Amino acid sequence: MLVPLYGFLAGDTLGLLVLVHGEDRVGAIADRLQMAASVRVAPRVRAQVYVRGRRLDSNLTVTQAGLAPLDRVDVVPEEAEWHLSP
Amino acid sequence: MGLCGGGHVPYDLLMWRTAGRNPVLAGRCRRVTRMPKLNRDDWLDLARKLDWDYSYVREEDAFPEAVSGRPWLSHAEWQDWDETYRTTYAEYVATQSAKDATVQAVREAVGHAEDFGKLDRSWLNVLKMHAATMTFTEFAAVTGNLRAARFGRDGAWRSAATFGALDEVRHTHIPLLLMHELLPWEPQFDWTHRLFHTNNWLAIAARHLVDEMVVGTDPIEFAIATNVVLETGFTNLQFIGLSAMSHEVGDRMFETMVTSIQTDEARHAQIGHPVLATLIRHDRERAQYLIDKWFWRSWSFFAVITGFSMDYLTPLAHRRSSFKEFMQEWIVDQFQRTLTAFGLERPWYWDGFIEELDVYHHMLYASTYTYRASVWFDFALPGPEERAWLRAKYPRTWDLLEPVWERIIERWRKCGPGMEWYTQGGTPMAFCDLCQLVLSHGTPLENAARVIEHEGQKYVFCSEPCAWIFSREPERYAHHKGVVKRMLAGEAPANLVELTRKYFELTPEVWGKDVRHGKYPWLWSEGQGEEV
Repeated sequence: MLVPLYGFLAGDTLGLLVLVHGEDRVGAIADRLQMAASVRVAPRVRAQVYVRGRRLDSNLTVTQAGLAPLDRVDVVPEEAEWHLSP
Repeated sequence: MGLCGGGHVPYDLLMWRTAGRNPVLAGRCRRVTRMPKLNRDDWLDLARKLDWDYSYVREEDAFPEAVSGRPWLSHAEWQDWDETYRTTYAEYVATQSAKDATVQAVREAVGHAEDFGKLDRSWLNVLKMHAATMTFTEFAAVTGNLRAARFGRDGAWRSAATFGALDEVRHTHIPLLLMHELLPWEPQFDWTHRLFHTNNWLAIAARHLVDEMVVGTDPIEFAIATNVVLETGFTNLQFIGLSAMSHEVGDRMFETMVTSIQTDEARHAQIGHPVLATLIRHDRERAQYLIDKWFWRSWSFFAVITGFSMDYLTPLAHRRSSFKEFMQEWIVDQFQRTLTAFGLERPWYWDGFIEELDVYHHMLYASTYTYRASVWFDFALPGPEERAWLRAKYPRTWDLLEPVWERIIERWRKCGPGMEWYTQGGTPMAFCDLCQLVLSHGTPLENAARVIEHEGQKYVFCSEPCAWIFSREPERYAHHKGVVKRMLAGEAPANLVELTRKYFELTPEVWGKDVRHGKYPWLWSEGQGEEV
């Protein structure tokens, strides 16, 4: 199942539409969003995905993580010290 | 019929006044030309402020709440409505004729393609953006004014709105006329007429604002949104700030156009304050809500068209103040004085709005620079001197934005001049379900967007105030489809290139580019990217 998400990369200036599949790993969200925003923010090797301030396990699938279409996800590169509110 | 205007004017007197200008009538009316001429103020209000008591319909039927506005009040509550200009039709025609003659004279002198060709190419994009967003906004405002010309609750209000409608026709025609001449020279000027007929994302955002503000509102909300918030507030940015900048840049045509339009706006904006005063007396909460709502919606849109113009598209040498400084002087200070005078509170989000003056339009500009092919005007890449100026003007936030520009510059250096696509995004942007603009509120550290559910559907909003406006009137907004929902419904292509070409209706010769295609002397070592 295709799961469109509203993705926000720490350091970026806007939200993007990220398309993933239910069976994709959560880590793929970070990869895809970093790639999509790479014109403005240099991609980092490792990044974490957050939903409503809760960090998601990168190895879970999108479905296992409970993500639904049009949820907001935040991607935070590990090297950066960004602040995220719940 | 009980007249409540300025009394009854004899038919003979009307004939006499007409005959003075008409040789045929003058011959027939020789007898009455000996009549004394009334003083202007003795007859003016019969024409200008004419109301009467209804015998054959109820007042509620003649002025239904649905089209006259709420709260519904009897005319007795509106009868003191007045404005200071008190213009006669003859005065209106004479004044407008003189103004049009001035615009025409300037057009003949400096309104040709070769004159615009002498202007800075970055500045020309201020014209393209304003001409496209302004023209049909003005045209839509004809409808809003005409609704008030019929359903405004006092004769003087209706008269002022009639002139307002005529003003807005003029404000539509002037940019259409001026920009049409530039079409053979620069096809992007075609969007002066074209924008509002497309599904371009910025056109959707503009229509979403304008359709509601001036077409879909009743005369009371129209007066608050348009006359109070927009015309005595935000358009100061255009008519004072940008007018001064166009003078600095040497663009006499744009300066004359906006100055000429401003004189009309100053008159019909007078409609707003007496409407607001009556609304406050009878429904203070609604008055505050309308102020809060329309101030936010206006701010979001003006951050694009004026924020870009003042801080990025005006050549550095000609900038006198930053967008933030203009906002503080002409909007923040003045608007607070207006609110204080009416005993209203500042909008509840005021502190957040003040913080946003440092960052929102910068977030928007960096975002749209990297999606410039999705609009009809070009963008300037801020060089070291521009960024130093921006850092000086925005010391609190520029450090958050500088890395974004460093990254874009790094990409330009990697791909070489002329490679537009390497500095643009390839993934669809997301848009606010209220204002339809990109999700760029907040800061690069923390984007302010939020997703909420309403009756089983998810909606994304760029900011807390946009979510709040939706929550106050969900029945008004819930069915609107933004670009993302159109894509997900299969009504618009999800592929960005297809979306740009087929849905946003942009062709390679028209879509936005870097104004110098990356050929900035500061960007390249000698020989790599010569100035064009």
